[in-house]
Amino acid sequence: MSETKPMSEYLLLFRGKDWDEGLPQDELQRLLDEVIAWHDDLAKRGRIKAGQPLERRGKVVSGEKGRGVTDGPFVESKEGIGGYLILLAGSEEEAVAIAKSSPTLFYGTTVEVRPLLNECPCFVRARRKLTFASV
Amino acid sequence: MSTEKVDYLLLFRGTNWDKGMSPEQIQKVVTNWYAWFDRLKREGRCSGGHPLQSSGKIVSGKGRTVSDGPFAESKETIGGYFYLHVADEAEAVSIAQLCPGLDYGVVVEVRPVAEMCAVRERAVNGGVMAKEIPLETAGSR
Repeated sequence: MSETKPMSEYLLLFRGKDWDEGLPQDELQRLLDEVIAWHDDLAKRGRIKAGQPLERRGKVVSGEKGRGVTDGPFVESKEGIGGYLILLAGSEEEAVAIAKSSPTLFYGTTVEVRPLLNECPCFVRARRKLTFASV
Repeated sequence: MSTEKVDYLLLFRGTNWDKGMSPEQIQKVVTNWYAWFDRLKREGRCSGGHPLQSSGKIVSGKGRTVSDGPFAESKETIGGYFYLHVADEAEAVSIAQLCPGLDYGVVVEVRPVAEMCAVRERAVNGGVMAKEIPLETAGSR
């Protein structure tokens, strides 16, 4: 790992149904080994800041004052998020390349790669508008 | 009852809630959002959180296809997250209900963080996992 290259943080969201469905035991074993090796290699290279699986359940809070509380409707769907990683990468291309190397992609998961920000983009937009308005 | 804390992820959905609002209104909501975050951190109930850029990539399928969003101005897109340490799910939900974006259409997904990935857990329970693989390598921190 190069010390001089500044690293940015990317959130990787793993979506999809459980990828073990219908897999024969030997293939499942091999794939699990691969996933662990993939993760350990990234961790050894100092690329993982955080990451965890999520339970396949939860709540969804919506509406005024958060009055609507329902059981998570999408946690078990194709769009449901099963886990996340906060990745350190030199560029978005590199973050995407790492996402592409995820062994579970072959089994139907989708990986969303999103740059982390320190400031909310809505806030930045609003401030820019206010600045222009006051000129 | 134990006093042990559990971890929850709040995922904020919606990157278009500011549409049609004046810059002053938006600034007020976001300021409240930051104040809410700072208070939760001070109380030790939140250890981190970030907004996400309204862009990015989606990698999918056997061909590992890379595509753009669409992440901007969408109701479904995740715009940010908080990481919570709470007593139980009820506390996580009550925190979620204080999100200043809710009145403007933001939806908050409240998800318990798992000790072990569901696939791995089933494999271990089903006797698929070989014993020589140390369990602690699976969970990342």
